Amino acid sequence: MNINDLVRGILNGDKRSIARAISIVENSDDEQRKNIIDKIYDYGNSKIIGITGPPGVGKSTIIGNIAPMLSKSGKISILAVDPASPFSGGSILGNRIRMQENLSKYDIYMRSTSNRLYEGGLSEYSWDIIKILEASGSDFIIVETVGSGQSDIDIMNVADLTCVILAPGLGDEIQAVKSGMMEIGDVFIMNKMDREDAYISIKDIMESLQISNKPNTPVIGLNSLTLDNYESFIDFILKWNGKNTERRNIRKIRQIIIERIFTTYSVYIESVDKNKLLGKNPYDIADDIMRNLDGLKNKYLEK
Amino acid sequence: MNGKNRKYIEKPIKILLAKPAIDGHDRGIFVLARAFRDAGMEVIYAGLLPTPEEVVETAVNEDVDVIALSLLNGAHMTAFKNVMNILNKRGIKDIAVVGGGIIPDRDKPKLEKMGITGNFGPGTKLSTIIEHVKKRAGEIRKLRENEYK
Repeated sequence: MNINDLVRGILNGDKRSIARAISIVENSDDEQRKNIIDKIYDYGNSKIIGITGPPGVGKSTIIGNIAPMLSKSGKISILAVDPASPFSGGSILGNRIRMQENLSKYDIYMRSTSNRLYEGGLSEYSWDIIKILEASGSDFIIVETVGSGQSDIDIMNVADLTCVILAPGLGDEIQAVKSGMMEIGDVFIMNKMDREDAYISIKDIMESLQISNKPNTPVIGLNSLTLDNYESFIDFILKWNGKNTERRNIRKIRQIIIERIFTTYSVYIESVDKNKLLGKNPYDIADDIMRNLDGLKNKYLEK
Repeated sequence: MNGKNRKYIEKPIKILLAKPAIDGHDRGIFVLARAFRDAGMEVIYAGLLPTPEEVVETAVNEDVDVIALSLLNGAHMTAFKNVMNILNKRGIKDIAVVGGGIIPDRDKPKLEKMGITGNFGPGTKLSTIIEHVKKRAGEIRKLRENEYK
Protein backbone atom coordinates (compact mmCIF):
# COMPACT_ATOMS: atom_id res chain seq x y z
CA MET A 1 0.00 0.00 0.00
CA ASN A 2 1.35 3.42 -0.85
CA ILE A 3 0.14 6.96 -0.49
CA ASN A 4 -1.91 6.86 -3.70
CA ASP A 5 -3.85 3.83 -2.53
CA LEU A 6 -4.43 5.62 0.74
CA VAL A 7 -5.77 8.71 -1.04
CA ARG A 8 -7.99 6.57 -3.25
CA GLY A 9 -9.30 4.90 -0.11
CA ILE A 10 -10.13 8.26 1.46
CA LEU A 11 -11.96 9.46 -1.63
CA ASN A 12 -13.97 6.24 -1.70
CA GLY A 13 -14.91 6.70 1.94
CA ASP A 14 -13.05 3.59 3.14
CA LYS A 15 -12.96 3.88 6.92
CA ARG A 16 -9.63 2.16 7.38
CA SER A 17 -7.89 4.50 4.95
CA ILE A 18 -9.51 7.54 6.56
CA ALA A 19 -8.44 6.34 10.00
CA ARG A 20 -4.86 5.70 8.93
CA ALA A 21 -4.59 9.02 7.12
CA ILE A 22 -5.73 10.84 10.25
CA SER A 23 -3.08 9.03 12.30
CA ILE A 24 -0.41 10.04 9.82
CA VAL A 25 -1.56 13.65 9.97
CA GLU A 26 -1.47 13.58 13.77
CA ASN A 27 1.81 11.77 14.19
CA SER A 28 4.15 12.66 11.38
CA ASP A 29 5.96 15.75 10.19
CA ASP A 30 4.98 18.78 8.21
CA GLU A 31 6.17 17.29 4.95
CA GLN A 32 4.09 14.15 5.10
CA ARG A 33 1.03 16.11 6.19
CA LYS A 34 1.42 18.40 3.20
CA ASN A 35 1.82 15.39 0.95
CA ILE A 36 -1.57 14.01 1.93
CA ILE A 37 -3.42 17.32 1.99
CA ASP A 38 -2.01 18.23 -1.45
CA LYS A 39 -3.67 15.19 -2.95
CA ILE A 40 -7.09 15.64 -1.38
CA TYR A 41 -7.42 19.40 -0.99
CA ASP A 42 -9.75 19.93 -3.95
CA TYR A 43 -12.26 17.29 -2.98
CA GLY A 44 -15.39 17.52 -0.90
CA ASN A 45 -17.74 20.17 0.33
CA SER A 46 -19.13 19.74 3.80
CA LYS A 47 -21.04 21.78 6.29
CA ILE A 48 -18.89 21.93 9.41
CA ILE A 49 -20.93 22.07 12.59
CA GLY A 50 -19.03 23.03 15.73
CA ILE A 51 -20.40 21.90 19.08
CA THR A 52 -18.87 23.61 22.09
CA GLY A 53 -19.80 24.27 25.71
CA PRO A 54 -18.73 23.60 29.30
CA PRO A 55 -18.00 20.03 30.47
CA GLY A 56 -21.06 17.95 31.27
CA VAL A 57 -23.76 19.99 29.53
CA GLY A 58 -24.45 17.19 27.06
CA LYS A 59 -22.37 17.88 23.97
CA SER A 60 -21.65 14.23 23.20
CA THR A 61 -25.22 13.20 23.96
CA ILE A 62 -26.61 15.87 21.64
CA ILE A 63 -24.26 14.78 18.87
CA GLY A 64 -25.32 11.16 19.43
CA ASN A 65 -28.91 12.31 18.97
CA ILE A 66 -28.60 14.67 16.00
CA ALA A 67 -26.26 12.47 13.96
CA PRO A 68 -28.92 9.88 13.04
CA MET A 69 -31.47 12.65 12.37
CA LEU A 70 -29.07 14.48 10.06
CA SER A 71 -28.05 11.29 8.30
CA LYS A 72 -31.38 11.45 6.46
CA SER A 73 -29.98 14.51 4.67
CA GLY A 74 -26.46 13.31 3.96
CA LYS A 75 -23.35 11.52 5.09
CA ILE A 76 -22.10 12.33 8.58
CA SER A 77 -18.63 12.26 10.07
CA ILE A 78 -17.77 13.17 13.63
CA LEU A 79 -14.55 14.50 15.12
CA ALA A 80 -14.40 14.74 18.90
CA VAL A 81 -11.58 16.31 20.88
CA ASP A 82 -10.79 15.42 24.49
CA PRO A 83 -8.14 17.00 26.73
CA ALA A 84 -4.66 15.58 27.28
CA SER A 85 -3.11 15.34 30.72
CA PRO A 86 -0.65 18.15 31.42
CA PHE A 87 1.41 15.72 33.51
CA SER A 88 1.78 12.68 31.27
CA GLY A 89 0.45 13.86 27.91
CA GLY A 90 -1.87 10.86 27.88
CA SER A 91 -5.62 11.15 27.66
CA ILE A 92 -8.86 9.26 28.05
CA LEU A 93 -11.06 9.63 25.01
CA GLY A 94 -14.55 9.10 26.35
CA ASN A 95 -16.87 10.75 23.83
CA ARG A 96 -17.40 7.62 21.86
CA ILE A 97 -19.27 5.78 24.60
CA ARG A 98 -22.21 8.19 24.41
CA MET A 99 -22.63 7.80 20.66
CA GLN A 100 -21.55 4.20 20.08
CA GLU A 101 -25.07 2.89 19.68
CA ASN A 102 -25.91 5.00 16.64
CA LEU A 103 -22.51 4.95 14.94
CA SER A 104 -22.59 1.50 13.43
CA LYS A 105 -26.34 1.57 12.86
CA TYR A 106 -26.14 4.66 10.62
CA ASP A 107 -22.69 3.95 9.19
CA ILE A 108 -21.16 7.09 10.66
CA TYR A 109 -17.40 7.57 10.85
CA MET A 110 -16.31 8.92 14.22
CA ARG A 111 -12.84 9.75 15.42
CA SER A 112 -11.75 10.74 18.91
CA THR A 113 -8.58 12.76 19.24
CA SER A 114 -6.64 14.21 22.09
CA ASN A 115 -5.96 17.95 22.02
CA ARG A 116 -2.33 17.08 22.79
CA LEU A 117 -2.17 20.12 25.06
CA TYR A 118 -3.09 22.54 22.29
CA GLU A 119 -5.12 25.38 23.74
CA GLY A 120 -8.43 26.75 22.53
CA GLY A 121 -10.62 23.64 22.54
CA LEU A 122 -9.40 21.89 19.40
CA SER A 123 -6.20 20.05 18.52
CA GLU A 124 -3.42 21.43 16.38
CA TYR A 125 -4.28 19.26 13.40
CA SER A 126 -8.06 19.51 13.55
CA TRP A 127 -7.97 21.40 10.26
CA ASP A 128 -6.17 18.55 8.52
CA ILE A 129 -8.48 15.94 10.01
CA ILE A 130 -11.54 17.92 8.88
CA LYS A 131 -10.04 18.15 5.40
CA ILE A 132 -9.66 14.36 5.27
CA LEU A 133 -13.25 13.85 6.45
CA GLU A 134 -14.41 16.38 3.87
CA ALA A 135 -12.59 14.56 1.06
CA SER A 136 -14.19 11.30 2.15
CA GLY A 137 -17.51 12.65 0.91
CA SER A 138 -19.13 13.83 4.13
CA ASP A 139 -22.03 16.24 3.81
CA PHE A 140 -21.88 17.16 7.48
CA ILE A 141 -18.87 17.13 9.77
CA ILE A 142 -19.71 17.50 13.42
CA VAL A 143 -16.79 18.77 15.49
CA GLU A 144 -17.00 18.47 19.25
CA THR A 145 -14.57 20.58 21.26
CA VAL A 146 -12.98 19.84 24.60
CA GLY A 147 -15.40 20.74 27.39
CA SER A 148 -14.60 24.42 27.22
CA GLY A 149 -14.11 27.37 29.49
CA GLN A 150 -14.97 30.98 28.75
CA SER A 151 -11.86 31.55 26.64
CA ASP A 152 -11.87 28.41 24.47
CA ILE A 153 -13.10 29.92 21.25
CA ASP A 154 -10.95 28.29 18.57
CA ILE A 155 -14.01 26.50 17.18
CA MET A 156 -15.35 29.80 15.74
CA ASN A 157 -12.35 29.84 13.40
CA VAL A 158 -13.04 26.35 12.14
CA ALA A 159 -16.78 25.70 12.07
CA ASP A 160 -19.26 27.03 9.53
CA LEU A 161 -21.90 26.93 12.22
CA THR A 162 -20.90 27.30 15.86
CA CYS A 163 -23.38 25.90 18.40
CA VAL A 164 -22.79 26.77 22.04
CA ILE A 165 -24.39 24.21 24.33
CA LEU A 166 -25.42 25.32 27.81
CA ALA A 167 -27.40 23.89 30.68
CA PRO A 168 -29.45 25.50 33.46
CA GLY A 169 -27.62 26.48 36.60
CA LEU A 170 -24.36 27.63 35.08
CA GLY A 171 -24.72 31.20 36.27
CA ASP A 172 -26.83 34.32 36.32
CA GLU A 173 -27.20 37.14 33.81
CA ILE A 174 -23.74 38.50 34.63
CA GLN A 175 -22.22 35.25 33.38
CA ALA A 176 -24.40 35.53 30.29
CA VAL A 177 -23.06 38.96 29.26
CA LYS A 178 -19.38 38.01 29.65
CA SER A 179 -17.06 37.94 26.67
CA GLY A 180 -15.50 34.86 25.11
CA MET A 181 -17.59 31.77 24.63
CA MET A 182 -20.88 33.64 25.10
CA GLU A 183 -20.13 35.74 22.01
CA ILE A 184 -19.18 33.11 19.48
CA GLY A 185 -22.44 31.17 19.09
CA ASP A 186 -24.43 31.27 15.87
CA VAL A 187 -27.02 29.48 17.93
CA PHE A 188 -27.29 28.81 21.66
CA ILE A 189 -28.69 25.51 22.87
CA MET A 190 -30.12 25.13 26.35
CA ASN A 191 -29.95 21.41 27.08
CA LYS A 192 -31.65 19.68 30.02
CA MET A 193 -34.89 21.64 29.67
CA ASP A 194 -36.50 19.30 32.21
CA ARG A 195 -34.41 20.91 34.95
CA GLU A 196 -35.80 23.53 37.23
CA ASP A 197 -34.88 27.11 36.24
CA ALA A 198 -34.37 26.14 32.59
CA TYR A 199 -36.71 28.86 31.32
CA ILE A 200 -35.09 31.52 33.51
CA SER A 201 -31.72 30.50 32.08
CA ILE A 202 -33.06 30.85 28.52
CA LYS A 203 -34.42 34.26 29.44
CA ASP A 204 -30.99 35.36 30.75
CA ILE A 205 -29.27 34.29 27.55
CA MET A 206 -31.90 35.95 25.36
CA GLU A 207 -31.67 39.19 27.31
CA SER A 208 -27.92 39.37 27.01
CA LEU A 209 -28.16 38.64 23.28
CA GLN A 210 -30.67 41.50 22.95
CA ILE A 211 -28.06 44.01 24.04
CA SER A 212 -25.19 42.39 22.10
CA ASN A 213 -24.23 42.90 18.47
CA LYS A 214 -26.05 39.71 17.42
CA PRO A 215 -29.59 40.31 18.76
CA ASN A 216 -31.20 37.81 16.37
CA THR A 217 -29.19 34.79 17.47
CA PRO A 218 -31.67 32.02 18.26
CA VAL A 219 -31.77 30.22 21.59
CA ILE A 220 -33.15 26.69 21.38
CA GLY A 221 -34.17 24.61 24.38
CA LEU A 222 -33.65 20.84 24.13
CA ASN A 223 -34.54 17.87 26.26
CA SER A 224 -32.14 15.07 25.40
CA LEU A 225 -34.04 12.45 27.37
CA THR A 226 -37.28 12.82 25.41
CA LEU A 227 -35.74 14.33 22.22
CA ASP A 228 -38.13 17.25 22.73
CA ASN A 229 -37.68 20.15 20.29
CA TYR A 230 -34.80 18.48 18.42
CA GLU A 231 -36.61 19.05 15.13
CA SER A 232 -36.20 22.82 15.40
CA PHE A 233 -32.46 22.42 15.97
CA ILE A 234 -32.18 20.11 12.95
CA ASP A 235 -34.20 22.61 10.86
CA PHE A 236 -31.86 25.37 11.90
CA ILE A 237 -28.78 23.34 10.93
CA LEU A 238 -30.23 22.42 7.54
CA LYS A 239 -31.22 26.01 6.75
CA TRP A 240 -27.83 27.44 7.73
CA ASN A 241 -25.62 28.16 4.75
CA GLY A 242 -22.87 30.37 6.13
CA LYS A 243 -19.34 29.40 5.13
CA ASN A 244 -16.22 30.07 7.14
CA THR A 245 -13.49 28.92 4.76
CA GLU A 246 -11.49 32.14 4.87
CA ARG A 247 -11.08 32.22 8.60
CA ARG A 248 -10.40 28.50 8.71
CA ASN A 249 -7.57 28.78 6.23
CA ILE A 250 -6.03 31.85 7.85
CA ARG A 251 -5.92 29.92 11.12
CA LYS A 252 -4.16 27.08 9.37
CA ILE A 253 -1.63 29.32 7.62
CA ARG A 254 -0.78 30.86 10.96
CA GLN A 255 -0.34 27.40 12.51
CA ILE A 256 1.87 26.14 9.69
CA ILE A 257 4.17 29.12 9.92
CA ILE A 258 4.37 29.03 13.71
CA GLU A 259 5.09 25.31 13.58
CA ARG A 260 7.79 25.63 10.95
CA ILE A 261 9.54 28.39 12.82
CA PHE A 262 9.19 26.55 16.11
CA THR A 263 10.53 23.23 14.76
CA THR A 264 13.45 25.07 13.26
CA TYR A 265 14.38 26.97 16.38
CA SER A 266 13.37 24.51 19.09
CA VAL A 267 16.74 22.80 18.73
CA TYR A 268 18.39 26.06 19.69
CA ILE A 269 15.96 26.76 22.51
CA GLU A 270 16.74 23.44 24.14
CA SER A 271 20.47 23.86 23.71
CA VAL A 272 20.68 27.21 25.50
CA ASP A 273 23.39 27.15 28.15
CA LYS A 274 21.94 26.64 31.66
CA ASN A 275 24.10 29.40 33.17
CA LYS A 276 22.95 31.81 30.52
CA LEU A 277 19.32 31.07 31.40
CA LEU A 278 19.81 32.25 34.96
CA GLY A 279 21.86 35.32 34.23
CA LYS A 280 20.49 36.73 31.01
CA ASN A 281 17.29 38.51 30.00
CA PRO A 282 15.05 36.12 27.96
CA TYR A 283 14.55 38.84 25.33
CA ASP A 284 18.28 38.89 24.66
CA ILE A 285 18.51 35.10 24.45
CA ALA A 286 15.60 35.01 21.98
CA ASP A 287 17.33 37.70 19.89
CA ASP A 288 20.49 35.59 19.81
CA ILE A 289 18.59 32.51 18.68
CA MET A 290 16.55 34.33 16.03
CA ARG A 291 19.68 35.85 14.55
CA ASN A 292 20.74 32.36 13.64
CA LEU A 293 18.78 32.06 10.40
CA ASP A 294 20.63 29.05 9.05
CA GLY A 295 18.07 26.60 10.29
CA LEU A 296 15.18 28.29 8.53
CA LYS A 297 17.08 28.68 5.30
CA ASN A 298 18.16 25.08 5.12
CA LYS A 299 14.79 23.66 5.85
CA TYR A 300 12.26 25.65 3.84
CA LEU A 301 13.56 28.64 1.96
CA GLU A 302 15.88 26.81 -0.38
CA LYS A 303 13.31 24.29 -1.52
CA MET B 1 4.07 27.65 21.51
CA ASN B 2 0.46 27.89 22.47
CA GLY B 3 1.08 26.02 25.69
CA LYS B 4 2.13 22.81 24.03
CA ASN B 5 4.98 20.78 25.27
CA ARG B 6 6.51 18.71 22.53
CA LYS B 7 8.44 16.58 24.95
CA TYR B 8 5.22 14.79 25.94
CA ILE B 9 3.27 14.59 22.77
CA GLU B 10 5.37 12.83 20.18
CA LYS B 11 3.28 10.00 18.78
CA PRO B 12 1.52 8.67 21.87
CA ILE B 13 0.42 5.04 21.77
CA LYS B 14 -3.30 4.67 21.10
CA ILE B 15 -4.99 1.83 22.96
CA LEU B 16 -8.56 0.49 23.04
CA LEU B 17 -9.76 -1.19 26.23
CA ALA B 18 -12.65 -3.56 25.82
CA LYS B 19 -14.59 -6.27 27.62
CA PRO B 20 -16.12 -8.06 24.63
CA ALA B 21 -18.74 -10.18 26.42
CA ILE B 22 -21.35 -10.08 29.17
CA ASP B 23 -19.16 -8.83 32.01
CA GLY B 24 -19.96 -5.73 34.01
CA HIS B 25 -16.96 -5.74 36.36
CA ASP B 26 -15.34 -2.55 35.17
CA ARG B 27 -13.37 -1.37 38.20
CA GLY B 28 -10.21 -3.08 36.96
CA ILE B 29 -10.45 -1.64 33.49
CA PHE B 30 -10.85 1.88 34.90
CA VAL B 31 -7.69 1.38 36.94
CA LEU B 32 -5.92 0.27 33.77
CA ALA B 33 -7.32 3.18 31.77
CA ARG B 34 -5.84 5.64 34.25
CA ALA B 35 -2.55 3.78 34.39
CA PHE B 36 -2.20 3.86 30.60
CA ARG B 37 -3.13 7.54 30.55
CA ASP B 38 -0.51 8.26 33.18
CA ALA B 39 1.98 6.38 31.03
CA GLY B 40 1.27 8.94 28.28
CA MET B 41 -1.06 6.90 26.09
CA GLU B 42 -4.31 7.89 24.41
CA VAL B 43 -6.91 5.57 25.87
CA ILE B 44 -10.32 4.67 24.49
CA TYR B 45 -12.68 2.58 26.59
CA ALA B 46 -15.33 0.76 24.60
CA GLY B 47 -17.95 0.95 27.34
CA LEU B 48 -19.85 -1.97 28.81
CA LEU B 49 -21.05 -4.93 26.75
CA PRO B 50 -19.63 -4.24 23.30
CA THR B 51 -19.86 -7.06 20.77
CA PRO B 52 -16.62 -8.39 19.22
CA GLU B 53 -17.72 -6.75 15.95
CA GLU B 54 -18.05 -3.39 17.67
CA VAL B 55 -14.63 -3.78 19.26
CA VAL B 56 -12.96 -4.35 15.90
CA GLU B 57 -15.01 -1.61 14.24
CA THR B 58 -13.96 0.88 16.93
CA ALA B 59 -10.33 -0.21 16.70
CA VAL B 60 -10.32 0.32 12.93
CA ASN B 61 -12.15 3.67 13.06
CA GLU B 62 -9.86 5.03 15.75
CA ASP B 63 -6.77 3.40 14.22
CA VAL B 64 -5.44 2.13 17.54
CA ASP B 65 -2.10 0.40 17.93
CA VAL B 66 -3.24 -2.02 20.61
CA ILE B 67 -6.52 -3.66 21.60
CA ALA B 68 -6.49 -4.70 25.26
CA LEU B 69 -9.16 -7.29 26.03
CA SER B 70 -10.22 -8.12 29.55
CA LEU B 71 -12.76 -10.58 30.87
CA LEU B 72 -13.39 -11.78 34.39
CA ASN B 73 -16.27 -14.11 33.59
CA GLY B 74 -14.47 -17.05 32.03
CA ALA B 75 -15.65 -16.38 28.48
CA HIS B 76 -12.21 -15.46 27.22
CA MET B 77 -11.68 -18.58 25.12
CA THR B 78 -14.74 -17.77 23.00
CA ALA B 79 -14.93 -13.97 23.18
CA PHE B 80 -11.22 -13.26 22.64
CA LYS B 81 -11.20 -15.79 19.84
CA ASN B 82 -14.15 -14.06 18.16
CA VAL B 83 -12.27 -10.78 18.16
CA MET B 84 -9.23 -12.46 16.61
CA ASN B 85 -11.38 -14.19 14.00
CA ILE B 86 -12.93 -10.91 12.88
CA LEU B 87 -9.52 -9.24 12.71
CA ASN B 88 -8.18 -12.10 10.62
CA LYS B 89 -11.22 -12.12 8.39
CA ARG B 90 -10.77 -8.42 7.65
CA GLY B 91 -7.08 -8.98 7.01
CA ILE B 92 -5.94 -6.68 9.78
CA LYS B 93 -2.44 -7.54 10.90
CA ASP B 94 -1.20 -4.21 12.18
CA ILE B 95 -3.11 -4.03 15.44
CA ALA B 96 -1.64 -5.83 18.45
CA VAL B 97 -4.01 -7.68 20.78
CA VAL B 98 -3.20 -8.20 24.45
CA GLY B 99 -5.33 -9.90 27.07
CA GLY B 100 -6.00 -10.01 30.76
CA GLY B 101 -8.49 -10.94 33.46
CA ILE B 102 -9.20 -14.21 35.21
CA ILE B 103 -7.37 -16.55 32.87
CA PRO B 104 -6.30 -20.04 34.01
CA ASP B 105 -2.70 -20.97 33.30
CA ARG B 106 -3.71 -23.78 30.96
CA ASP B 107 -5.50 -21.31 28.64
CA LYS B 108 -2.56 -18.95 28.32
CA PRO B 109 -0.58 -20.93 25.70
CA LYS B 110 -3.75 -21.29 23.61
CA LEU B 111 -4.35 -17.55 23.70
CA GLU B 112 -0.69 -16.88 22.87
CA LYS B 113 -1.09 -19.15 19.88
CA MET B 114 -4.01 -17.04 18.64
CA GLY B 115 -1.77 -14.00 18.90
CA ILE B 116 -3.11 -12.62 22.17
CA THR B 117 -0.16 -11.89 24.42
CA GLY B 118 0.22 -10.80 28.04
CA ASN B 119 -2.82 -12.47 29.57
CA PHE B 120 -2.14 -10.96 32.95
CA GLY B 121 -4.11 -11.97 36.00
CA PRO B 122 -5.01 -10.22 39.27
CA GLY B 123 -2.06 -8.87 41.24
CA THR B 124 0.11 -8.12 38.22
CA LYS B 125 2.07 -4.92 38.66
CA LEU B 126 0.78 -2.05 36.49
CA SER B 127 4.34 -1.37 35.39
CA THR B 128 4.62 -4.93 33.98
CA ILE B 129 1.44 -4.44 31.97
CA ILE B 130 2.48 -1.02 30.68
CA GLU B 131 5.89 -2.37 29.71
CA HIS B 132 4.28 -5.19 27.75
CA VAL B 133 1.85 -2.86 25.94
CA LYS B 134 4.70 -0.52 25.04
CA LYS B 135 6.67 -3.43 23.62
CA ARG B 136 3.79 -4.64 21.46
CA ALA B 137 2.93 -1.12 20.32
CA GLY B 138 6.57 -0.62 19.37
CA GLU B 139 6.43 -3.68 17.10
CA ILE B 140 3.25 -2.37 15.47
CA ARG B 141 4.69 1.07 14.93
CA LYS B 142 7.72 -0.47 13.27
CA LEU B 143 5.45 -2.44 10.97
CA ARG B 144 3.58 0.71 9.96
CA GLU B 145 6.60 2.97 9.72
CA ASN B 146 7.32 3.11 6.03
CA GLU B 147 3.95 2.03 4.79
CA TYR B 148 2.84 5.25 3.14
CA LYS B 149 5.98 6.99 1.98
